[in-house]
Amino acid sequence: MSTEQHAGTSLNAVLQAGQRAMTPRPSNMDWLTPVRERGAASVAEMPLPSRKDEAWRYTSVGFLEQAEYQPLVEGPFDAIQLSDIDDLLLPQSQGLRLVFVNGYLATAVSDLAHQQDGIQVRSLAGGLGDVSVDLRRHLDAIAEHRHVFAALNSALMSDGALIHVDRDIVSRAPIEILHISVGMEQPGISHPRHLIVLESGARAEITERYACLGDARYFNNALVEVALGADSELLHTRLQEESPQSQHLSDLQVRLAERSRYRLVMAALGGAWSRSDVRVSFDGEGAEAELDGLMLARDQQLNDIHLDVQHKSAHCTSRETFKGILDGKGRVVFDGRIVVAEDAQKTDAQLSNDNLMLSRSSEVDTKPQLEIYADDVKCSHGTTVGELDANMMFYLRSRGIPHARAKQMLCQGFAEEVMAHIDNEPLRAYANKLLTARLAQTTE
Amino acid sequence: MRLSIKNLRAEIEGKEILRGLDLDVGPGEVHAIMGPNGSGKSTLAHVLAGRDGYEVTAGEITLDDQDLIELAPEGRAGLGVFLAFQYPVELPGVNNTHFLKESLNAQRKARGEPELDSVAFLKLIREKMALVSMKPELLKRPVNAGFSGGEKKRNEILQMALFEPKLAILDETDSGLDIDALRTVSDGVNALRSPERSIILVTHYQRLLDYIEPDFVHVLAGGRIVRSGDKTLARELEQKGYGWLTGEDEAA
Ligand SMILES: Nc1ncnc2c1ncn2[C@@H]1O[C@H](COP(=O)(O)OP(=O)(O)O)[C@@H](O)[C@H]1O
Ligand SMILES: [Mg+2]
Repeated sequence: MSTEQHAGTSLNAVLQAGQRAMTPRPSNMDWLTPVRERGAASVAEMPLPSRKDEAWRYTSVGFLEQAEYQPLVEGPFDAIQLSDIDDLLLPQSQGLRLVFVNGYLATAVSDLAHQQDGIQVRSLAGGLGDVSVDLRRHLDAIAEHRHVFAALNSALMSDGALIHVDRDIVSRAPIEILHISVGMEQPGISHPRHLIVLESGARAEITERYACLGDARYFNNALVEVALGADSELLHTRLQEESPQSQHLSDLQVRLAERSRYRLVMAALGGAWSRSDVRVSFDGEGAEAELDGLMLARDQQLNDIHLDVQHKSAHCTSRETFKGILDGKGRVVFDGRIVVAEDAQKTDAQLSNDNLMLSRSSEVDTKPQLEIYADDVKCSHGTTVGELDANMMFYLRSRGIPHARAKQMLCQGFAEEVMAHIDNEPLRAYANKLLTARLAQTTE
Repeated sequence: MRLSIKNLRAEIEGKEILRGLDLDVGPGEVHAIMGPNGSGKSTLAHVLAGRDGYEVTAGEITLDDQDLIELAPEGRAGLGVFLAFQYPVELPGVNNTHFLKESLNAQRKARGEPELDSVAFLKLIREKMALVSMKPELLKRPVNAGFSGGEKKRNEILQMALFEPKLAILDETDSGLDIDALRTVSDGVNALRSPERSIILVTHYQRLLDYIEPDFVHVLAGGRIVRSGDKTLARELEQKGYGWLTGEDEAA
């Protein structure tokens, strides 16, 4: 109890410092007040996760005690220019690009030219104009506060993208959300918040990235809400390329109406401590979700993915394919929970988690869980933990490829099953390049 | 280029497989190594290519004056040693074109030659593919993954054509091939015969030697070369089996 008390105080301190930093706040954010108040009330009530909580058993938040996270405020990086971040930009990008620096929209480096009728893109802090009442009502209505960090995000959300795609509108180009963290003297904490709503029959592609300049120390505490209307389709790619010194927590919560399709490809490559919670709720019949993920845990990195797939309706399909690559003392935590409710007949759900360990001192804690309450379903799960295959290594080396490079190629091959699902070609090329670079640091 | 193996002893997991093997392969020569199943033919091939876990406990292997034993597999490849695997390895997620290009360039780099860019490489690979009649779509797939037995063997010979090795060791390249595929693959190998290229053909059957005529034939049994001769030895073996050489009844 005493540890919870102590740590709780520390998050309360983060809350209070954050609240102080936000006042006075612009009146065009007044509509957020009830959400913030709800969030703040939850922060006061909810304990800090401890190892006693099943969902946090392998993932300590002890790092919180090692730093005093300062609230990040808008402004210090207004001077940031495209030339500062051009390494991070995708070539030939044809769509909207919203760049957030330390949690705040930076219009100077964003690309807002490619607006499309029927697609409303706003920022939470109001930087892109008024947020329609219609869009407002979705915020915090999709997500549940499943841990205190989500509540903290609701209380302190700084800025973020609010995207609304009208009925039957098909987005012409991917919309890119790019977070860039820049180091401060003291490690900062920010609370990005995004909301994506597709009306029935709409189709969109959204890219969400968390990148950094230099080896910054910070804590990104993000929450993303997604609501897909009937027959809509979203391709969602997330690339976590945080600094090796950072903490990254992202809570993604998705609601699927009937016959909607949600495709997620996520690659979590950076951060000293990284955790992604992905919750998908099948609210209507006949919907499909395909979730693919890659976790890289190099020496001293922790990479955690918690899936919570709620099959609440009949005739829905989900595929969960997650892969981990570990090296040094890296750690991967995978918790894949699929719950099939009594009424969710004809559910087809298949989950896999495969891990490749490059070192004996790395650790994988993998836990697939199927909870099935319906009787006519097709569900399966499987996990593997393996080392590099000696035959494959020898084959490559016998062709002249040096040991370290052979290792990289096999890791990349292992990751390819996930990476190949990134449809957006410049993004896939970028992600692969990033993976190569991070693997090179691993294997040399 | 002369390969010289003297009194080679090698073991796998503490079990001695090669027990004092001698072999001399001169420039441009084609040597067939035959022998019953389990006699150590693939072990020899892997030892020549430098596989980890195949421990050389005695003897020497030299390529001209270079001691091969001290070199890693990639170092041997750089010198021009090539092994066509009896069981080519599948590499899921590793694109075949990428693999071929990366391999060739690694070898070129080791020899101090400039690397080929994508355009030059594609031109070259198309030319080599024709030699083994390989389907172009196999270049786009992961290495050997889901290839048929014959496609895997063609992919091996394609690599031989591409790398132009000084010493090629073909381990049971004929096994699992139907007669048409055998002819194509053999034509490919014959086209690659040259005074600068030595070839060791490991085979279980005489059949391959009807297509690729060896200069010498050796019988490997019990981890040693027990008999050497010219191509007529292969015919004799076909009629009599291996028993008369190994002192056992026909193994395999
Ligand atoms: N990886 C291995 N571990 C242990 N024994 C092996 C291994 N590979 C081959 N052997 C043994 O070595 C002997 C020779 O095998 P091999 O060289 O494959 O024969 P061949 O190619 O002539 O059929 C056999 O007795 C086989 O069982
Ligand atoms: Mg063999």
